[in-house]
Amino acid sequence: MLAEFVQHVVNGLIVGGGYALMGIGLTLIFGIMRVVNFAHGEFFMMGAFFLFTLFSLWGVNFFLASLLSVIGVGLVGAVVERLILRRLRLAPIEIPMLATVALSVIIQNAAILLWDPSPKTIKHVFSPVPLTLGPINVVSIRLFAGLVAVALIVGSHLLIQKTRIGRAMRATFQDTDMARLTGVDVDRVYMFTFAFGAALAGASGALLGAVFWVYPAMGDLAALKSFAVVIMGGLGNFLGAIVGGLLLGVSESLGAGYISSGYKDAIGFILIILLLLWRPQGLFGKKALPR
Amino acid sequence: MKLWAAAAAVALLALPLIGVDDYYLHLLIMAGIFYLLAAGMNLLLAAGQLNLGHTAFYGIGAYTSGLLGVHFGLSPLWTMPVAAAFTGFVGYLLGRLTLRLRGAYFVLVTVGFAEVIRLVATNWMDLTQGPMGLAGVPAFNLGIERWTLVSKRDYYYLMAALVAGTLFVTARILGSRVGRALAAIQSNEGLAESSGISAYAHTMLAMVVSCVLAGVAGAFYAHYITFLSPELFGFQNTVTMAVMVVAGGQGMVLGPAVGSLVFTFVPELLRMAANRMLLYGVILLLVVMFMPRGLVFYLRALLRGRAPSPAAVQAADAALETGRAAAAGAAPALDVREMTVRFGGLAAVEDLSLTLGRGEILALIGPNGAGKSTAFNVVTGFQPADTGRVDFDGADITGLPPYRIAERGLVRMFQRTSVFPEAPALDNVLTACHRLARTRLWEVVLMTEAAREEEARHRRRAQSLLNFVGLGRKAGEAAKNLSCGEQRLLGLAIALAPDPSVLLLDEPAAGLNAVETGQLMHLIEVIRSRGLSVLLVEHDMKLVMGLCDRVVVLNYGVKIAEGTPTEIQQHPEVIRAYLGSGEILADA
Repeated sequence: MLAEFVQHVVNGLIVGGGYALMGIGLTLIFGIMRVVNFAHGEFFMMGAFFLFTLFSLWGVNFFLASLLSVIGVGLVGAVVERLILRRLRLAPIEIPMLATVALSVIIQNAAILLWDPSPKTIKHVFSPVPLTLGPINVVSIRLFAGLVAVALIVGSHLLIQKTRIGRAMRATFQDTDMARLTGVDVDRVYMFTFAFGAALAGASGALLGAVFWVYPAMGDLAALKSFAVVIMGGLGNFLGAIVGGLLLGVSESLGAGYISSGYKDAIGFILIILLLLWRPQGLFGKKALPR
Repeated sequence: MKLWAAAAAVALLALPLIGVDDYYLHLLIMAGIFYLLAAGMNLLLAAGQLNLGHTAFYGIGAYTSGLLGVHFGLSPLWTMPVAAAFTGFVGYLLGRLTLRLRGAYFVLVTVGFAEVIRLVATNWMDLTQGPMGLAGVPAFNLGIERWTLVSKRDYYYLMAALVAGTLFVTARILGSRVGRALAAIQSNEGLAESSGISAYAHTMLAMVVSCVLAGVAGAFYAHYITFLSPELFGFQNTVTMAVMVVAGGQGMVLGPAVGSLVFTFVPELLRMAANRMLLYGVILLLVVMFMPRGLVFYLRALLRGRAPSPAAVQAADAALETGRAAAAGAAPALDVREMTVRFGGLAAVEDLSLTLGRGEILALIGPNGAGKSTAFNVVTGFQPADTGRVDFDGADITGLPPYRIAERGLVRMFQRTSVFPEAPALDNVLTACHRLARTRLWEVVLMTEAAREEEARHRRRAQSLLNFVGLGRKAGEAAKNLSCGEQRLLGLAIALAPDPSVLLLDEPAAGLNAVETGQLMHLIEVIRSRGLSVLLVEHDMKLVMGLCDRVVVLNYGVKIAEGTPTEIQQHPEVIRAYLGSGEILADA
C-alpha cells in the first residue's frame, strides 16, 4: 500500500523533472522576453525526433546523439528569435504570441511530412530490467532521465546565478532599458534566452521521448503541461517552474494511479482552477499580475 | 466601403438561386460558422483579452444541442437557444474565474480550459460516446414537415440570417459606447477605470456575448453535420479562428467576416485541404509579421485613403454647467483620515489626514518620494491602504474599486498615462462620458431614439469640453500625435467628462512650458468657479503658490505642514525639507 504510493511518487518525480525542464524554458522566455512561447511543445518534439534520427536511424552513439539533439534544438531556437521574434519585439503581446502559435503549427506539420505521423520508439542502450530498491522498481532509462533532468536544472540555476550571461539575463529580466543603458547587449540576451529555453525543452523531449513514444503531435500535451506548470509557479519564476513541474508530475502519477487514467492529463488544469480560486497570482507570484 | 459590403451581401444571397454547386454552398456555410466564432473572439480581443480556448465553447454548444436532440428528441428550434444560453453561462463561469487575469495568464488558462473540456468529451463515454463520436444528431426540423431543412440552400439561408444578425449586433456593440469602453480597457485600463468604466463588467459582457455566439455556431454545426466528435475541441480549430480574426482585421466589424471567407476558401482553392494546417501556419506567420492589422485595414486604406475627420461641432460651452457639484452638503468634499500605507516595513504614507473643502483648491506637495502619488492612488481606489478611511461627500469610499469611486464623482487625472493614445481626441473624451450613460445595452444595440439622442448629447459634451481646454480644432487627431502639453489638456478634458464634483490632478503641469502652465492655471480657476473642488499634486511652485487656497506638505510620508501658500513659504520645516535651498521662495 505504502510501497505503491511511493512508487507513484517516484514515477511522478521523474516525469515531473521533464515538466520542470519545459517549465523553466518557458518561464525564462516569458520572464525576459515577455513572449509566451506556443512553439515550446514543438521544441520538445524536435528534441525527441533529432535523437530518434541521429541514434535510431543514423546509429550515432546514444549520449552523443542526445547532446547533439539538444544543441540542435537550441540552434533552431536562436534562428527563430533572430528571424521572427526580434522583428516583433515592439508589437502588442498577442502578436509575438500568435507568431509562435503559427510556428508551432508549421513545425508540427513539417514533422508529419518529414517523419510520418506514426509513433516510434527509441531503442535506447539501457537494460530493460528494472532496478529494485526495496519495494520500488525503476527502469534504468527512467532513472537516467530523472538524473539528467536534475543535473540540467542545477546547471540552469548555476548558469543564471554565476555566469556573465546569466547576470545579463537577470538584469534584462528586472529592467530591460536599464540593462541596455549599463551596456548589456539585450539582443544577445534575448537570442541566448530563447535558444536556451528551446534547448531545455528539447532536452526534456529527448529524455521523455526515450522513455515513452516519439510522434509529431507529442508536443501538444507537453506544451499544455508546461503552461500549467508556469501558471502554477508564476510566469517568469524559476523556482516556481521547478516546484510546479514536480508537483504536476506527482499529482498526475497519483491521479492516474488512484482516480482515473483518462483524466490524468486534465489534472494540471484542474489544479490551476483550484489555485486561481485561492491565489490568482500563482504559487510564488508576488508581483501584481502583468497588465 | 458600405456600398461594397452591400453589393457583396446581395451577391452572396443570390448565389443559391443562380444554381451554384452544393460544394461551394457547403464552404460558405462553414465560413459562416467560423465567422460567428471569429466574431466572438474579435469582440473579446477588442478589450485586449485573447481567448485561445474559444473552440471549447463551439464544442459545448454543439454537444449541448446535439445531446438534447439525440436523447430527448427535441427539435433544434428549442435546443439551439438552450445550447446558446448554456454556453453563455459556462462562459460566465469561466469569466468569473479568469477575467481578473490579464494578457498571457488569461490566454494560457483558456487554452487549458479547452483541453480539459476536450478530455471530458473524450473520456465521458456514457455522455458523449467518446472518440467514436456522437452520431444521429437530428437535422433541422421545426416540427412541421414543410419546415424541415433538407437542401443545402435551406441551411445556407439560415446561416445567412445568423451571420447578418451577428454582424448587426457586433457592429452596434463595437460602434457604441460599449465598444469605446472595450477599446479603452485595452488601451489604458487605469484611465478607463478612473473614468467610471468597469473593466470587469465590460470584459465579462464581451466574454458572454462571444460565448453565446460560439454556442449558436456549435449548435448549428451539430444539426447541419449531424455528427459530432471530440475533435471539435482541438486546438487547430482555435488556431483557425485566430487566423481569421487577426488576418481579417482585429477590432474591426468586418475583419472576422472577411477573414473567415478568405481562409475557408483559399485552402480549398489551392487544393491544399490535406495540408490546410501547414498553410494556415505559414499564412498566420506572414500576417503577424508583415500586416498585423489585417486585410480589412489595408483594404479600407486602399478604398478611401484616410478616415474623414469628424465635423467640428460648434457647441455651447455648457459642458461644465451640468455639474452636480452644486448639491452642497455640510460634509467636506473629501475627507482623508489617518491613512497609512506600508510597503514592507517602509511607511510610504503615515497617519495622513487632510480635508478638501467644497470649491477649494488644495495642493499636496513634497519632495520626490514623499508619498503624494501613493496617497492619490489610495483615495482613487487604485491601491489599498493599511489603515485609515476616505470619505467623499460624507460617504465612506474606502476600498471601493476605482470605477465606483469615479461613478460617485471623484475623478483623477494621471501623471503620465493620461490619454487613450490610439483614439482620436474626441473619442478620448467621449469614452470618458461613459458614466453619464443611462441607456441600457439593448437600447444601444437596437439604437433606439433614446440611445441615439444620448450619443449625440455626449458627442456635443465631448466637443465642448475639447473647446473648453482649447483643443476644439484637434478633435479628429489621434491622441498620441498631440504635443505633450496638448496631451495634458486632453487628459484634463477626459477627467472632466464624467462630470466630477472633485478633481484630483497628478502633476498637471509636468512637462508644460510657462505659457501652457499659465493656460492650465486659468482653466483650473474656471473649473473651480463652476463649483468643483480640486486636489492637486504639483512640483511647479509658481502654480501651487499662485492658484491654491491651501497647501499640505508631505515629507517621508508624514504631513509636516499645512496652511495658506504664504504660511507654507515661511514654514521652517518645509524649507528644511526642500534642503533649505529656498527654492520655494525663489520660484514664487
